[in-house]
Amino acid sequence: MASSRTGSSVWSVPPASTDAWYVYGVVPKGTSPDVFANAGAEIELVETGELTAVASRVPLEEYGAEALEANVKHPEWLEEKVNAHNAVLAAGVGVTTVLPFRFGAIYRDEEQVRGMLTKRPELRDALARLDGAVELGVKALLDPEVLRARLAHDRGLDAEVGSGRAYMLWKQLERELDEEVRSFAGSCADESHERLAAAADDARVNPAQHPSVAGGEMLLNGAYLVRSDRDAAFRDVLRELQARYGDDGVTYELTGPWPPYNFVGDEEQA
Amino acid sequence: MSSASPALQQQVTLIELVDRVLNKGVTLTGDITLSVAGVDLVYVGLRLLLASVSTLERLDGERA
Repeated sequence: MASSRTGSSVWSVPPASTDAWYVYGVVPKGTSPDVFANAGAEIELVETGELTAVASRVPLEEYGAEALEANVKHPEWLEEKVNAHNAVLAAGVGVTTVLPFRFGAIYRDEEQVRGMLTKRPELRDALARLDGAVELGVKALLDPEVLRARLAHDRGLDAEVGSGRAYMLWKQLERELDEEVRSFAGSCADESHERLAAAADDARVNPAQHPSVAGGEMLLNGAYLVRSDRDAAFRDVLRELQARYGDDGVTYELTGPWPPYNFVGDEEQA
Repeated sequence: MSSASPALQQQVTLIELVDRVLNKGVTLTGDITLSVAGVDLVYVGLRLLLASVSTLERLDGERA
């Protein structure tokens, strides 16, 4: 067992008998503990065969089955732990290949962690598949008012809209603009995803977030698996999309690089 | 969005994070795992969390 003692611990460390092992994810064998030295948690690396589990000892009084179910109800606790989980894995992004686990994989002791690694050869396949790749998130947000103003302008309607036009004519225009906005939203989302997916090694589309949360009408909520040698080309495509659709009221947001959360879990599911 | 307020940006980042850490990633049955009821509780906690970052009404006001 290799361990890193250089990071500051975010949890208290009671006697070993009351500890459990929290697993953040898996990295290839031989990964240096230094990678996680500043990850904000005291990390234990458990190496078996080709795989290394990235783990922390956590107190059972906080992570035991009953305690865990009580704790996840508390937003402050949840926010802290979700941040901590990602911070540990993020420390390995771009440095090694990271296979992220979902929040809350907890084992009784180190032997159980080893057992998990031994019993799951598909984890090794997943590491090989993800070799050197990171996840980039892209969201496309539409400001419908900008698009409607542009569409109305294209019809030479700026001055008349809302002024002396007959009510029925006005309602008809509204319907036509609604239809055009819907049509644009669909084709812009499709083209954006197709072009980004072509520049990536793999791609996923996630459900759009609600406008009140997203800060606009979300046309696309995509995740893209990108190897470092294709990173620049991927970002070029994103810039081209922004240049093409910016005037229509579309803003593209890039997040990451993330551990490839969206590209694990299908074949590795227990 | 580049013009987003810091509060909105913080909320957007948190949603991105929570969506990945709680909904994605390798799922293995550990020795201790959340029950189905426990997973539901995560979403109770999550809704409270998002509400606590900043209220949506106030964000809407700032953006107007």
